Amino acid sequence: MRQRGQKVFAAICVAPALILFLLFVVYPAINIFRMSLYRWGGYSANQTFIGLENFRILFSDERFYRSFQNTILLIVVVTLVTIFLALFFASVLCRERLRGKSFFRIVFYIPNILSVVVISAIFSAIYDANNGILNSILGLFREGSPILWLGDRGLIIYSIAIAMIWQAVGYYMVMYMAGISAIPESIYESAALEGAGRMRTFFDLTIPLIWTNIRTTLTFFVISSINISFLIVRALTGGGPDGASEVFLSYMYDQAYTNSSYGYGMAIGVTVFLFSFLLSGLINGVTKRDPVYL
Amino acid sequence: MEAVQKPSLGERLARSLIWLALAALAVSILLPVIWVIMASLKEKSEFYGNPWALPQGLYLQNFVDAWEKARMGSYFLNSVIVTALGLVFLLVLSLPAAYALSRCRFPFRKGINTLFMGGLFVNVSYIVVPIFLMLVDANQLFGVSFFINNKLILALVYASTALPFTIYLLSSYLVTLPYAYEEAAYVDGSGYFRTLVSIIIPMARPSILTVLLFNFLSFWNEYIIAITLMSRDAEKTLPVGLMNLMKAQNAAAEYGRMYAGLVIVMLPTLILYMLVQKKLTQGMTIGGIKG
Amino acid sequence: MGKKITTVILALGILAGLFAGCTGNGEDKNTLKVAVLESAYGSEMWEKIVDEFEKDHEGVTVELVAEKNLEDVIGAQMKSGDYPDVVHLATGREAGLTETMIRDNMLTEMTDVLEMTVPGESVRVKDKLIPGFTDTLATNPYSDGKTYFAPMFYGPCGLFYNRQLFIDNNWELPETWEDMFILGDKAKEKGIYLFTYPTTGYFDAFFYALLASAGGTDFYNRAMRYEEGIWDTQQAKMAFDTVNQLAKYTEPTTVSNANNDNFLKNQQLVLDNKALFMPNGTWVVGEMADAPRAEGFEWGFMPLPAFNNGDRYSFTFFEQLWIPKEAKNPELAKEFVAYLYSDEAVGIFAEAGAIQPVKGVSADLKGDSKLFYSIYDNGAKAVMGGFAATEPVEGVSIADSLFGTIDSLVSGNKTLEDWMNAVKAASDRLREALK
Repeated sequence: MRQRGQKVFAAICVAPALILFLLFVVYPAINIFRMSLYRWGGYSANQTFIGLENFRILFSDERFYRSFQNTILLIVVVTLVTIFLALFFASVLCRERLRGKSFFRIVFYIPNILSVVVISAIFSAIYDANNGILNSILGLFREGSPILWLGDRGLIIYSIAIAMIWQAVGYYMVMYMAGISAIPESIYESAALEGAGRMRTFFDLTIPLIWTNIRTTLTFFVISSINISFLIVRALTGGGPDGASEVFLSYMYDQAYTNSSYGYGMAIGVTVFLFSFLLSGLINGVTKRDPVYL
Repeated sequence: MEAVQKPSLGERLARSLIWLALAALAVSILLPVIWVIMASLKEKSEFYGNPWALPQGLYLQNFVDAWEKARMGSYFLNSVIVTALGLVFLLVLSLPAAYALSRCRFPFRKGINTLFMGGLFVNVSYIVVPIFLMLVDANQLFGVSFFINNKLILALVYASTALPFTIYLLSSYLVTLPYAYEEAAYVDGSGYFRTLVSIIIPMARPSILTVLLFNFLSFWNEYIIAITLMSRDAEKTLPVGLMNLMKAQNAAAEYGRMYAGLVIVMLPTLILYMLVQKKLTQGMTIGGIKG
Repeated sequence: MGKKITTVILALGILAGLFAGCTGNGEDKNTLKVAVLESAYGSEMWEKIVDEFEKDHEGVTVELVAEKNLEDVIGAQMKSGDYPDVVHLATGREAGLTETMIRDNMLTEMTDVLEMTVPGESVRVKDKLIPGFTDTLATNPYSDGKTYFAPMFYGPCGLFYNRQLFIDNNWELPETWEDMFILGDKAKEKGIYLFTYPTTGYFDAFFYALLASAGGTDFYNRAMRYEEGIWDTQQAKMAFDTVNQLAKYTEPTTVSNANNDNFLKNQQLVLDNKALFMPNGTWVVGEMADAPRAEGFEWGFMPLPAFNNGDRYSFTFFEQLWIPKEAKNPELAKEFVAYLYSDEAVGIFAEAGAIQPVKGVSADLKGDSKLFYSIYDNGAKAVMGGFAATEPVEGVSIADSLFGTIDSLVSGNKTLEDWMNAVKAASDRLREALK
């Protein structure tokens, strides 16, 4: 009897969420797949079915490859640096006895609550070649022409990465802090009794105990890097100079709307979707560890 | 490094390095935010000089202009309504679902879980137009016009697209709760719904707060969906209004008004964040001890 | 179970109806929907125009939408089947909505508007327009002799500079490219760079005029139609070489600010005497009106230097007005367009600084405007139009290849050879897709 009741209850609980999810996420997503097989300008009624033609073009499109490279570089750099910083600050704020801990915690999270538009405005002032804060500080130590943070093809992607890291550290720090504060104090006490130092406690205790937490965030990193890089690039560089900072979604928008190739844009969308799915699966597989039980 | 009773030299060095790192990050965050607030108080001519110079006076006219002339006031109200509705929908939808998916046994559970997980990969930025086209079709099908330019629909879309992330977050918290409480409730003759409302939800409060905070921010700052679904000026939300201001700034160099707009967008999030932050911290530690 | 969910959805739907408020715009034969881009001229002049038009046309209501981000507003509405009757939105904007209309054949032909008599007057629209404005690819995008765009506010584009700086240094204005680069070396000794540009988008007008001065108008038009081998000609090579050389004389920080958010910083370089010339349009004066500037700064404006003894050219930019194919009320829309060329309307626009290509208007101008619009009287030749319309080609954009690459020339990341090859490749692909 109980089993049956539970099934009905579960169905009632899940159904509304599932239906809306199917309606507003799954169905539109399927539509993207469908439209990637068509040629369509975006407004008129004539949609021509062209099979996989859009994908064929994609694989010989140099500009798509460039946006691909940029996106991968951003995912790797932003993830590694952010995880390192976020874990460091999370463990410091959870484990150390410090004055003003809550002040730091509050401040570190601020970039995450700012709109990307605000962040772009800020970094545009920081990176300004002639009187930006970065070059005015560096000007004290070095001679010669100013560094073009947003003008140099080699630098620009890292300039964007810094803005993304700045934006993300606080968010992931809070995620990790939730995990670290869930670790019973007694474990740390016994570790301290055994004479484990800060570094050893961090690597041998904290990281294994919140490993599930870290793994979860890796998936978030892949997804949010793709999205945030698009929003920042749009507002900060517009994909320039000469396409050097083009990323997946900015290129998709460029094609779907500006170049009147809606179907082609959707083909890019499909590729990005499959790519992020596969990458997350790969990361998930590689990082699998036996869970640590307390 | 040895853990000893009194701070050694190495210990003191480590502590100062930690402090230095904390201070560096704090400055790198606070300085730019203060800069934006400063810029919002500057007069037009001040913007062509050094961007880091202090404002020459408190030029509050920027805020008046932004609020009235750029209609940020009415966009503000729209944003409040949409965000609040979106959060209510989200909680009503996601809490029972997350509970059932993480703690009940029923057919297709794994499949549904995987489906929601897959939803994490569907980026809002690329399903906007299909959503819009679907709503347009709905308008034509029913011969009405309420599927577009409708705050309720926008809130519903926000809630629906936030479901995968929210259910994921809630489930991963709910799964850590011990079964003992529910067992006790069932033994006392409590039904499933009552158990959910009176036992599980109170216990899940820290994670609910986290969910609320995260989604408040994403709904409040969202603009891609809003710009597509709310084409009528009266229905626009704050970030879309801010984008208008940015465009205006390019055409007429209204920097002060734009930065005032930036402050209007970020101030509520800052204030609310400060308020919720305390509860969130408490929630996290309480949850931690119980877990 | 299923029934319950249906009920919930229905209930939500009804609730949604409550929030939607009432819309219900009747499909009235006497309602004209006009959508205009609110540019630097402001939207007030359009409100006046609408008032006057309604006064003269009893029973007609004009619904005016004036937005800075017009594409976002009408783009969404058009996707849902709600089309304006008249749209004032030029090509060359970032969102490229007007280009999409061309590519998708979504415009109403307006050749007959040219033959219409201006309401309240006894002359035809055609006779009021300055000759040449309706013979370009910018009005006849399919080059089939049919006009799809009405030419609206126009202005010459060319090189802007600080007149006072030339007087102070006893420099002559360069009339040929040779003189130009000699001046560049002289200026460099004073720590001033010869050249800057707001964004690479501003090279369109510049490069069109450059092509015309290298090979004449006919050559220019052939290039605009992506003619085979056109980029291998001696004339094209001259144009490419000139830009490549100019890149070496360009202020080095230009590239970092050459985007839509920071281009004002590049324009500021000219005001601060850090760079001598920039390609721009007449709107730059208003755009920089509040900016600080070097002492004694005075705007100067000239057409592009000539090659040897050739002609000097200036590109004439004009905004376009069009009627969507799906417009509900095309006849009234055409009447409205014809009205825009009446003396009354032309006067209202001119008062706000918006000049239409109507005979006799530029004669009444004063100050800076007089200087700008008089360059054609002083010997410069006008060039108009732009690249011919093509079917959309996935992943290919002539603007990105021809203009975008200039950023990389300046920063030294790409060579002249790379640039020419990219242009040729894009041109070949687009030629196949010509309409």
